[in-house]
Amino acid sequence: MKHFFRDLCRSKAGLFGAVLLAIIVLLALFAPLLHLPDPTRGDLRARLAGPTWSGLFSPGAHPLGTDEVGRDILSRLIHGSRMTLMVASTAVVLGGIVGTFLGILAGYKGGLVDRILMRLVDIQLAIPLMLLALLVVAALGPSITNVVLVLALTSWIRYARIIRAQVLSLREREFVQSARAIGASTLRIMFLHILPNVLTPALVVGTLELARVIIMDAALSFLGLGVQPPTPSWGRMLADGRVYLSSAWWTVTFPGLAIVLTVLSVNLFGDWLRDYFDPKTRSAK
Amino acid sequence: MTYMSRLLASAALATAFAVPAFAEDVTIAQTSAINTLDPHGSASVGLDLSVLSHIYPTLILRAPDYSLQPSLATKWEAVDDLTWKFTLHPGATFENGEPLDADTVAWNIKRVTDKEHPTRISSWFSQVSGVNVISPTEFEIKTSTPYPALPAQLSMFMLLPPKWTADHNPVTETMSGFLYKVSDYVPGDHITLVPNEKYWGEKKAQFDHVTFRVIPETASRIAALMAGEVDLINKVPTNELKRIDDSGKAHAGSVDSTRSVFIKFNTEKPPMDNKKFRQALNYAVDKDLIADALFDGKATVSTCQVMTPDYFGYNPDLKPYAYDPAKAKELIKESGVDLSQPIEFELPTSTYLQGEEVTQAVAQMFQDVGVKTDIQSMEFGTYLDKYRKAHDLGRLSLLGQAWPTMDADGLLTLFKPGNQYSYWNDKAFDEQLVAGNGTTDEAKRKEAYKKATEIMCDEAPVVFLYAQPATYGYSDRVKYTPRGDDWMRAFDMTPAQ
Repeated sequence: MKHFFRDLCRSKAGLFGAVLLAIIVLLALFAPLLHLPDPTRGDLRARLAGPTWSGLFSPGAHPLGTDEVGRDILSRLIHGSRMTLMVASTAVVLGGIVGTFLGILAGYKGGLVDRILMRLVDIQLAIPLMLLALLVVAALGPSITNVVLVLALTSWIRYARIIRAQVLSLREREFVQSARAIGASTLRIMFLHILPNVLTPALVVGTLELARVIIMDAALSFLGLGVQPPTPSWGRMLADGRVYLSSAWWTVTFPGLAIVLTVLSVNLFGDWLRDYFDPKTRSAK
Repeated sequence: MTYMSRLLASAALATAFAVPAFAEDVTIAQTSAINTLDPHGSASVGLDLSVLSHIYPTLILRAPDYSLQPSLATKWEAVDDLTWKFTLHPGATFENGEPLDADTVAWNIKRVTDKEHPTRISSWFSQVSGVNVISPTEFEIKTSTPYPALPAQLSMFMLLPPKWTADHNPVTETMSGFLYKVSDYVPGDHITLVPNEKYWGEKKAQFDHVTFRVIPETASRIAALMAGEVDLINKVPTNELKRIDDSGKAHAGSVDSTRSVFIKFNTEKPPMDNKKFRQALNYAVDKDLIADALFDGKATVSTCQVMTPDYFGYNPDLKPYAYDPAKAKELIKESGVDLSQPIEFELPTSTYLQGEEVTQAVAQMFQDVGVKTDIQSMEFGTYLDKYRKAHDLGRLSLLGQAWPTMDADGLLTLFKPGNQYSYWNDKAFDEQLVAGNGTTDEAKRKEAYKKATEIMCDEAPVVFLYAQPATYGYSDRVKYTPRGDDWMRAFDMTPAQ
C-alpha cells in the first residue's frame, strides 16, 4: 500500500485522475450534507438565470445558474453525480461479477463450455452495444433498474475475454496442478486458487469499463431512456438544455463538463492502475 | 471540351443565373420529415399537408386570417341542411392535361369514402353520403346529417388526378394540379418545388424555388434562420424570440394558435373517475405562472374549455379555475382519494412547445398539494399508440389538441362518449354535442355548445392549461403573415423586394 501511494504521487496524470475522482465521489457521497437547494424543485420565475457569484452563500444564489424550470444547476449536477456514479458502478460491479465468473469457467473448463461462452461473447460484440442498450431499454421501459441491467449486459463480455486469457495460463501453473493432484474440487480451485489471481486484471478492466459505462449512461439519459425527470441526471440535463444552447450556455456547458471531467479522471486513474499492476512496466521503473 | 471544363462552364452558368434569382427562392424549415406524398394519406397539417398543398389543388383555401377563400371552387352554398352545392373554376387541368372538373372531385371523394380501402382522412367524410355531378363545373355533396363544417374541412382535402393515379403510386410520386410541382425530393432531407407552368388559376407562383428542409433540432433551426439558410421556421421557444428579432437578420414573434394544451385525465381509471379530485387538480395548477414565466406571457390561459376564441362554439362566459392550492387540498380531502402511490404522468417528448418544461412545472404544482406523480417520457409515436390503438392512456398525460375546421363540432367530438379518443363518458355532454351536430342553425348550435362547454368545465375531464403560442421566425427576404393553425405555405409569403 505504501508503494501504491508513492507510485501514484510519481505519476502526474494518475495523481490528477485519482484526486479528481476522489473529489467527485466525496461530493456525491456527502451531497445531502451540503445544504444545496432541492434539485427537483424550481422557481419558474427564476428560470434560465445565469451564473452569479455574488452572495454565493445566500439562500437564493445559483453559482452555476438555473435550468429551464428554474432549478439550481449546481445542486442538480451534484445530485446527478450520485445517480450517475451509482448506476455506473453498480453496472460495472454486476458485469464484473458475471464476466469474471464466466471468464474463469470458460478458461478453466475449456472444451465445449469455453466454446459456447466465447461464441456468445463474439455474437454480442458483433451487435453495436448502444443499439443493444436502446433496444432493451425501449422494450422494458425506462427505469433505473433496467438501465443498470442493460449497462451490465454490455459490460460482462470484456471481463470474460480478459479473465479467460489469464486463466488459460494460470491453470497450467504448479499451484493449480498440485491442488488438483491432492483432490481439490473444481469449484474450490476456481474460487480459492484462480480467483485471487485474476482480481487485479478484473479491477483494471473495471476502471476502464466505468468510464465507458458513464458515457453510455449519459447517452441513454440524453435519449430520454434513463432516469425520468425531475430526478437529475447529466445526460438528461444536456438534452433538456440544448434548446437554449445559444441563449443560456450554462444549461449544457456544466453538465457536459461534469461528464468530461468524471470520465477523464476515471480514465487517467485507470490507465495508471493498469501500468501499476503490469509487471513489465513496473519493473522498468 | 473535356468533362471537367464542361462541368466548370455549367457551374459558372448556373451561378450566373442563380444569383439574380436568389431573392425569389424560399426555404422553409420543418421539424420532421414528411411521411407520404399521398394527400389522402396524412392528416398532419403542419407537415405533409403543408408541403402537398403547393402541389395538389383544394376546392377551398383557408387564408392566414382563417377566412375561407375560393380556390378550385369559385362558389359554394348550403342548398339545404343536407346538401352543399359547389361551382368550379372552368377549364382547370392537371399538369398532364387531365381535367379538374366535377367528375374528378367526385372520384376523389369516392376514393376517401371507400369503406373497403379507408384512407387516413376517411373519418372527415363519414357524414358524406354521396356526390351529385350536375355539370363539369357544378356538383353537390350530400350528407347524411347536417355538416356545417364541410367547407372548412374541404380546405384540407386535396385532389388527385384519377387516370394518373390508376397507374402511378401517389405515395411516392406526384402530379401537380396547383401552383408548384416537385423538382427534387430526397426523403428525410428536403423537397424542392418549382412553379407549375400549366397552373390554371389567377394566383401566381411567387418563388422560383420553394424548398422544405428537415431540421429537427430547435437550436439548429434558429441558427439556420440567423445564418440566412432558411426563411421560415416555427416552434421557437418563446424566450428566443426577442434574440432573433433583435439580431436584425430575421423577424420573430408569436400568435395565439388554435391548439389547446391540457393535462388529459384517463377517467376510466381510478382515482380519475372522481370529479372532486379532477377539480382539485385544476385548482392546484397556477396557469398564469406557466403562461407568464415559461412562455414570457405569449401563451393565453384557457378559459375552462379546450377551444380558443377562433373556434365556432367558443364560450366567452367561462372563467378559468382559479389558482387556489388551499381549496385543492380541501377538495382532495373531501374526495377521499388515496395519495400514497404516485400517479403516472405521460409526456410525449419533443411534441409540444416546451412540453417537457410544462410537465415538470405541473408535476411540481401537483406535489405542492400532496399529489405525487411519476413522469414517463416517451416518443410521440409510442404515446399515440397507447392513446389510439391500445386505448391504455396513463392516468395523467400532456396533450395538445386542435381541429383545423375550427368548429366545436370537431374538437369537442374528441371528448364524446364512445369516441376512442375520449377517455371520458358523460351523457349530458354527449346530448349537447348531438344537439349541436344535428342542425346548421348557428344560434341553436351555439346554444348547444355553450351548454356542452359548461358541463365540460364543471366535470373537468382535463386540467385546462393554455393555448399554445404559435411561434415563428422569418427572414427579411420574405414578407409573411403569421398564422396559428399550423399551415406553413410559401403562397402565404411574398418576396420582400
